[in-house]
Amino acid sequence: MITFDHVSVTYPGASAAVLTDVDLTITAGELCLVVGSTGSGKSTFLKCINGLVPHFTGGTLSGRVVVDGRDTREHRPRELADIVGYVGQNPLSGFVSDTVEDELAYGMESLGVDSSTMRRRVEETLDLLGLADVRSRPLLTLSAGQQQRVAIGSVLTMHPSALVLDEPTSALDPPAAEEVLAALTRLVHDLGLTVVIAEHRLERVVQYADRIVHVPGAGAPLVIGDPHTVMATSPVAPPVVRLARSVGWSPLPLSVRDARSAATSLRERLRDHAPSPGPVEQLGELVASAHRLVVSYDGVIALAGVDVDIRRGEVVAVMGRNGAGKSTLLNTMAGLQAPDAGMLDVGGVAPARLAAPDVVRRVALVPQNPSDLLWRESVNAECIDADADAGVARGMTRAVLTELAPHIDDDTHPRDLSEGQRLALALAVLLVRRPPLLLLDEPTRGLDYAAKERLATIVQRLAADGHAVVFATHDVELVAEVATRVLVLAEGEVVSDGPTATVVTASPAFAPQVAKILAPQPWLTVGQVERALAG
Amino acid sequence: MSAQIHAHRRLDIVRLHGRSAFALVVVTLVGVAAFTWPFFAGTAATAESSGLPHSTDAPWLFVALLPLLLGVLFAEIADGSLDAKGIAMLGVLAACGAALRPIGGGATGFTGVFFLMIPAGRVLGRGFGFVLGALTLFASALLTAGVGPWLPFQMVAAGWVGFGAGCLPPARGRREVALLAVYAAFSGLAYGLVMNLWFWPFAHDYPHAISYLPGASLGTNLVHWLHHDVVTSLGFDLPRAFGNFVFVLVAGRPVLAALRRAARRAAFEQPVVFTPRQVSA
Repeated sequence: MITFDHVSVTYPGASAAVLTDVDLTITAGELCLVVGSTGSGKSTFLKCINGLVPHFTGGTLSGRVVVDGRDTREHRPRELADIVGYVGQNPLSGFVSDTVEDELAYGMESLGVDSSTMRRRVEETLDLLGLADVRSRPLLTLSAGQQQRVAIGSVLTMHPSALVLDEPTSALDPPAAEEVLAALTRLVHDLGLTVVIAEHRLERVVQYADRIVHVPGAGAPLVIGDPHTVMATSPVAPPVVRLARSVGWSPLPLSVRDARSAATSLRERLRDHAPSPGPVEQLGELVASAHRLVVSYDGVIALAGVDVDIRRGEVVAVMGRNGAGKSTLLNTMAGLQAPDAGMLDVGGVAPARLAAPDVVRRVALVPQNPSDLLWRESVNAECIDADADAGVARGMTRAVLTELAPHIDDDTHPRDLSEGQRLALALAVLLVRRPPLLLLDEPTRGLDYAAKERLATIVQRLAADGHAVVFATHDVELVAEVATRVLVLAEGEVVSDGPTATVVTASPAFAPQVAKILAPQPWLTVGQVERALAG
Repeated sequence: MSAQIHAHRRLDIVRLHGRSAFALVVVTLVGVAAFTWPFFAGTAATAESSGLPHSTDAPWLFVALLPLLLGVLFAEIADGSLDAKGIAMLGVLAACGAALRPIGGGATGFTGVFFLMIPAGRVLGRGFGFVLGALTLFASALLTAGVGPWLPFQMVAAGWVGFGAGCLPPARGRREVALLAVYAAFSGLAYGLVMNLWFWPFAHDYPHAISYLPGASLGTNLVHWLHHDVVTSLGFDLPRAFGNFVFVLVAGRPVLAALRRAARRAAFEQPVVFTPRQVSA
């Protein structure tokens, strides 16, 4: 179906090749998972399949890529459009029309499909992806998961023989990501579609993959093999695999189910241990306190009487489904939203009453999209501005940034940074003022494992330095790793509030993989298990 | 990637060669003729005595001819010089330019319609500048300004504005912005003067000193034309020139940077090379 025949790719002006001597055949009906850290060359690999590399990007491609008998040397991307469907990270940037049905039909119109066939395929696709309820809705009113399913549907209607997806869930929150991945596995199993997908939420897809291509980056040779073999050595791996590797299970389990049956003896060994409590918390003074806080938008209640106290040194995870009030709580604490009733006290004052410069000295909010804070043309200009705004010596922001994310070039445009680097820059701009309270709204969206790990280290260090950190997230693994306390919101009310281990193991929806494998024992992270076994 | 290397090379993403260059030359020549015929027509004979058929309706030929020629030019350019990225860039910038047209309102002459085509011509090349200029005026006519016999003239004149921006000498930083701002002021003025020509010969209710005199000498008509401009349109042209100047001076730098970044991201003019497989060692 898709053949890479000794393919190497070098971009114009680059000194080294991105891909070197890739030799691979993906057969029809295969689900091929491409893993690797940001910037490793995953996208280049995927874009070779529909000819965007090198026809669109420029560059030198040696060897050849053949898709369904068509060689990309002779066929430009538009001549491959009917056999390769390509879906990117952000569905909105690919939409051409306004409503779901129009978008599904657009590709077929371009290919000149007759109208009765178009009609039929639109109906099929609506059912296949569960979009029939929203068929006439404007695209902008859909949820992110629905939008991404429409993006997938709009290429499926062209009846491609291969579907190529470049991190289709990285801009989505976990429930939406789950929706999209469930739809994809159904396509592979029901239609026998060939799917090549780059993804960093490995815990959700790795058990469905027929083959894994690991792109190590820097032009190093790809590691290609069946999931069990590749996962045994891959530096990017979900917690279940990391646990299995550190305990030495063979064959390597890829799902919680497989691991649970392999874990009987491990549970036995761990029976007499207890998870180390981690660094002992030095809970400091109160930095924020809310009492019976009520916030509403146009009469719709977003927070309905929330009580919460936050002290220095705490890392509080705010969890709950979309619309539960997580972002509202953070925005209200940052003074962006005025409470309708109740009392909110941040550093001794009500934040909504303060002028902006006084708010930012007490509390810093990194919004869901960190680009909202960045508006200059280069990283350096952004840092110099932040120094001036914070009234600190020139170079301070840059020093904070280097600490958070080394190797960022001064002249890079902030929008050209990777998600993780952009988050680091936004953090540096805020942290240079040393605010006692730091709020992060969905900070792990779009981060790969390495970037997430670095974020966890940063958050722990900030807490150790006496900052209080509150973050809204769906990412249970991150919560298990860094949070000292978890606050679960539902319908604008606090439904549980307590130490991480207690809250997280109480409900399967919020339990990390390690907790699911080792239940009923209260282990949360691979690190805890490793320390217990070593000690 | 090699951002530094590309940032300082001048792009020309609508390369004009062969038939497209020829079509542009023809459009320009016919455009020049369409604008300047009043100065040359009937110098040998007066309008009354010429007695030639079509001596009054012949100018309308240009109104019909110019759009056809522009069509030919666009077809030639679309047929090879312009790829999907170029079309996307053209579409977005023409739409933005059209949206900028109502800024300032018609009454003052001040308009934002020229603001984008000048930096765009500068960054993306003269061929692109011409097409963008013509297309922006066309799109804005459909949206707000209205379609009429003046439209082809506007398209050609705006095309020249964009083309000229792509021909300016190299400069960087503040000098570049200053250069573009001066050019924007100049072109705002010149556009008004040139555009007067399309209707001036047909306006019959002007006083003698600013009227077109069929059959008069080139010098007389030029003087009359300049007087006409000073008396009637300079009040619009000067605010337009000043508006262009201020627009480019204030927003030129970020717009140039954004266009250059977009051009870099789109990897225009990057060579696409296929080589046979390398024998691995």
